[in-house]
Amino acid sequence: MKRVAVDVGGTFTDVMYWDDESGVIHIVKVSSTPRDQGVGVMDGLRQACAAVGVGSEELEMFVHGTTAATNAVLEHRGATVGLITTEGFRDILHIGRKKRPLNFSSQQDLPWQTQPLVRRRHRIPVRERIRADGSVEVPLDEDAVRAAVRRLRAEEVDAIAVCFLFSVLNDAHERRAVEIVAEEWPGMFVSASYAVAPRYREYERFSTTALNAFVGPEVGGYIERLGRMLGAAGVGDHFHLMTSAGGMATDRSAAREPVTLLMSGVVAGLRAGCEIGRASGYPSVITLDVGGTSADVGVAPAGEVRLKHLLDTRIGGYAAMIPMADVETIGAGGGSIAQIDEGGMFRVGPESAGALPGPVAYGRGGRRPTATDAMVTLGWIRPASFSAGGIALDREAARATIESELAGPLGESVEFAAMGVFEILSQAMVEAIGVQSIRKGYHPAEFALVPLGGAGGLFAWRIAQELEIPTVVVPRHPGVSAAMGLLTCDLQYELAKTVWFAAAGGDPGQLGAAYAELERAARAQLQEDGLDADRVRLVRTADCRYEGQGYELRVSVPDGAIDAAWIATARERFEAAHERTYTHRFADARVQLVNIGVTAIGELQSYRAAPITSGAADPAAALLTTASLFLPRQVGREPVAVEAPVYDRDRLLAGNEIAGPALVEQADATTIVGFGQCALVDAYGHLVIAVAPTAEASKGG
Amino acid sequence: MPADPGSGAPSTGAEAVNPITLRVIGGSLSSIAREMAEVLYRMAYSNIIRESEDLGAGIFDIDGRELCESESTPMHIGSIPGYIRGVNRRLAGTYQPGDVILHNHPYHGASHSPDYCVLMPVFAEAEHIGFSACTGHVLDIGGAYPGVSLDVVDVWAEGKLFDGMKLYAGGVRNDDLFQHMLDNVRTPGPNAGDVEAMIASCRLGVRRYEALVRKYGLATVRDAITHWMNYSERRLRQQIEALPDGTYRAPSGFLDDDGKRVGVPLPIELAVTVSGSDVTVDLTGSAEQVESAFNVPFEGSVIPTVNFAIRTLFLDEDTTAQYVPQNEGIFRPIHAVAPLGSIFNPRFPASCFMRFPQINRIPDLVNLALAELLPDKVVAGCSAAIHSVVYSGLLEGGEEYWVYIEVGEGSYGGRPGKDGMDSVDCLMANTRNNPIEEIELRHPLVCERYELRDDPPAAGQWRGGIGSVRRWRLLEPTFMATEGDQRSDPPKGLFGGHDGLPGSLRRWHGGAECEPQPSKVTNVRWAAGDVVELTLPSGGGYGPPRARAPEAVLADVRDDLYTVAQARDLFGVAIDPQTMRVDAAATSALRGEEG
Repeated sequence: MKRVAVDVGGTFTDVMYWDDESGVIHIVKVSSTPRDQGVGVMDGLRQACAAVGVGSEELEMFVHGTTAATNAVLEHRGATVGLITTEGFRDILHIGRKKRPLNFSSQQDLPWQTQPLVRRRHRIPVRERIRADGSVEVPLDEDAVRAAVRRLRAEEVDAIAVCFLFSVLNDAHERRAVEIVAEEWPGMFVSASYAVAPRYREYERFSTTALNAFVGPEVGGYIERLGRMLGAAGVGDHFHLMTSAGGMATDRSAAREPVTLLMSGVVAGLRAGCEIGRASGYPSVITLDVGGTSADVGVAPAGEVRLKHLLDTRIGGYAAMIPMADVETIGAGGGSIAQIDEGGMFRVGPESAGALPGPVAYGRGGRRPTATDAMVTLGWIRPASFSAGGIALDREAARATIESELAGPLGESVEFAAMGVFEILSQAMVEAIGVQSIRKGYHPAEFALVPLGGAGGLFAWRIAQELEIPTVVVPRHPGVSAAMGLLTCDLQYELAKTVWFAAAGGDPGQLGAAYAELERAARAQLQEDGLDADRVRLVRTADCRYEGQGYELRVSVPDGAIDAAWIATARERFEAAHERTYTHRFADARVQLVNIGVTAIGELQSYRAAPITSGAADPAAALLTTASLFLPRQVGREPVAVEAPVYDRDRLLAGNEIAGPALVEQADATTIVGFGQCALVDAYGHLVIAVAPTAEASKGG
Repeated sequence: MPADPGSGAPSTGAEAVNPITLRVIGGSLSSIAREMAEVLYRMAYSNIIRESEDLGAGIFDIDGRELCESESTPMHIGSIPGYIRGVNRRLAGTYQPGDVILHNHPYHGASHSPDYCVLMPVFAEAEHIGFSACTGHVLDIGGAYPGVSLDVVDVWAEGKLFDGMKLYAGGVRNDDLFQHMLDNVRTPGPNAGDVEAMIASCRLGVRRYEALVRKYGLATVRDAITHWMNYSERRLRQQIEALPDGTYRAPSGFLDDDGKRVGVPLPIELAVTVSGSDVTVDLTGSAEQVESAFNVPFEGSVIPTVNFAIRTLFLDEDTTAQYVPQNEGIFRPIHAVAPLGSIFNPRFPASCFMRFPQINRIPDLVNLALAELLPDKVVAGCSAAIHSVVYSGLLEGGEEYWVYIEVGEGSYGGRPGKDGMDSVDCLMANTRNNPIEEIELRHPLVCERYELRDDPPAAGQWRGGIGSVRRWRLLEPTFMATEGDQRSDPPKGLFGGHDGLPGSLRRWHGGAECEPQPSKVTNVRWAAGDVVELTLPSGGGYGPPRARAPEAVLADVRDDLYTVAQARDLFGVAIDPQTMRVDAAATSALRGEEG
């Protein structure tokens, strides 16, 4: 099957063509077109097809990762949203959880108040009330709903959200209100909280629903436009989009619930890392995607993408209670600015020089030293091979800035200061990986580190040492890993329900019925997407806690009938997770299943890494040159000048072995093999670096 | 106090540590504190810890100097050093690996008695190098009344006290002490869970700090810590130094009453003295100590509050370019004074269970005292009390209580260039609310309203923030207790801005007329069907209302915060009610002829 994946990033749109029958892979990078991402997408698609000599009408599948929804929220360019809500609760979105983000600040802004998703004038309460047992205390005032819709129509809102208390336990009022909106204002984009975020906790649910309405018209419009362009190019009217949970949704369902696309940008890389690890024999991976302003850290034990706790899922200043892969983003990238602050402290990031003015070495007006300048100064990024955007690297300018801004004030050598920038930034990444792994009960030593992005390979050698990760697996094409990740995904939907079920004493029949209902809906969704039953897999989850606690832990639970054995298994899985997370289990406490979920997976026969040509151990044929660079012999020691070989990644063959220190360069990425490390090119062209444990060597300053 | 945070062991020369290792150790310490807090609130049972995050956690040296602390709620930040000094006074020299100590004595460092502190000593190669510790507000401590005690004779009546008690000695659990602790409270289930969560949090801190010391060596870690403390101290001193020396007095304030002698106001006086790079907050002149539980532990509550007030004003996190870590260094330039025998420094054994409404006035008055000096940094009068309502009752079976502590948010005053924050926790408080759906699923309560209050916000060029109103219906007979204030002395306006609005508590019983309640309700049982409504203060305005941009006034009118008439009367802005547009000519006429 001939397929194309297109991932839109802030600067570049990456395209990957893959034909699983012929084995042909082709990669194209074009400039992103932020005003209408579709223009860049089609440009890249045409270039890729032309390069492999395939007509776009021959493509059988098109998968897509877009930041359209995320950008609409972060740049606050969403729709004008109207909200219809329970009388007495007009300001739930304004009050939020009433905790200020910063403790020591009277001057901060509360984003949910200063940039509201729905302005107060557009929040209209109507009489209705459902109680905590699902019973109706106050029937829905349908006339009030009609009046509210008319008022919102007069106000010319672009989308409507319907959010009532306890709609997760009884959705009748929300459903009826949605019908009335459709009657009064046909064609209006409307989101109801029971459908968008079917879990209890009103602020988070309302916020998620309002976000859905906020991005709905824009994202819906984008999907429709892109669909038309693809249709005109003969690709077919329908395509798949990456969601934040790490699966694919059809264009139709993504347009209905665009909130599921939020934060999807960071997930594709993790998916790619999982496939790379699987192929190379390292199923458990930690991915580190280093870009210009930020780094994304993902941890996938046994290749499973874990989801964030639903109370931790936010975008910008807004709660978004949607399944999101557990990828942590920190403000550490090549553009991170280094400085000695007014208190004399050496700092790197989170402030970034971004793409413009960019690092000093780019000569685009940057004046402040960045991590990239440090790595240019150390000789790791070489002017001779740097090709991004046709920039000529100015190594002298980079060095001079490091000297005047950092080395001078510190009274240290330029190399010491440059290495310091790298070390401080690396440490931020080490902490982020620690939080994602050690803190959650997983030891990094049991994982392989998969660096992604152009700069991941510059950091991996060091971070693996620090965290005692024995192996680094550098993908064949680290610069386009997100596009590759898109090709590895299956269709995936999550359906959920709040059940508030007591493990001891609850009615198993009721719980079974609740799962069955979700499973029916899940199957129906995949059937609508055109999947045969034999390609559909359903996975049950349960969000559990000890009765009385306030935070649930998600565990997967067995299929089959709900009986005593089933409940015992669910309980044990929860308690094991609790012990792993918090190092403790309560002896006699009762367990409660708060929410249940069914994840429906529709297999899309996804990407598998393919072998490359093999050769002998000696990599001499791929040797480009030798370069002088500065590298510490041991962790924490001062860097020393060394002459190191530089290899051309594109000429390496399977079986080649590279002894560190060495650089491996390709068009859009550089990899460092450190002192004492050895890299093997494996059958799939992945660079597998063995990292010697150096726990003792890291001691001291 | 010596500058070295160690045990008196010689430093290897402060600030000798390499600048990169320094950053790395600083980053590790702050992540240890963050992780400790996360374990605590995720695992905890009581709503006040798990939802409100009313907790603190961090690593301290053996004398209690703070190396790092979680950013949970300000009231807990900086209070643990006092607990440690209290524990040291009894247990210094007896610590062994595996000890777990419980402490809550308000005259020996505790913030107040319901804020339990659990601490564990940390060792490096058999040397005691510090403590991993956390605090959390438990639901009930077995005092005279469920949840909150006010009308009590002394500190013994307010609850069960633990004065440096070892729950574990050398890793061996004292089951009798655990049982005794739980047998004497109304909420043994949640308390057991909360104490276990606190222990798990401390254990994590011990492991992480020990690993850090193993990796870098004790001398390097100590040097790095000294450096970070000096750094924070230097950053704060730079700010204080910029001010002219002198004593700056806040306008006199009043607390409603002590809850026992209802309606008898209690004066608060506060002066800020700047001397070089040091600053002193002096509460002399404030009320004498009172006979109810409405007193403030000096060490555990006044000192952390004064630290908070000064740090927030001078190093506001939003406007300060680089983050300044919270540690011992911040405390060094700051001094607090309150005469013994006053409400801010009571004599033992006066009860001091209820102290938040008093202490939250401190940052508010510090702002007002320095307003003329720092007009670009201060904020107009805030909702500077706290309004907590405690609902409780016997659970089915009659062996245990349910307790729901609701910490009502307030609102901020107007600010230079910005309106006040609406409906948010103020100053020393920074807790989260509990979802209505969570409360109704757990407790016999039904929420009838949770919204911004209806009254117009305090006018100003930058208007005051808006308090909220929350109304609950009781489904069963319920014990009620409240902690509140600021009914008689509302948030003050600044530079011509209007004063804010006080809060209120009202009850409807049996379909009768509403009964206004005092700010402190104690020891009452209200009936099933009663309705309770808590309205929270709105902050003061900043700057003259007529300087407010007409478009901002129009936006507030469209959002139902002011009427068209109020726009005209308060702000001199004419709005055409038909078109809902500003009438520019009429507005300048209004402003011209009256302004």
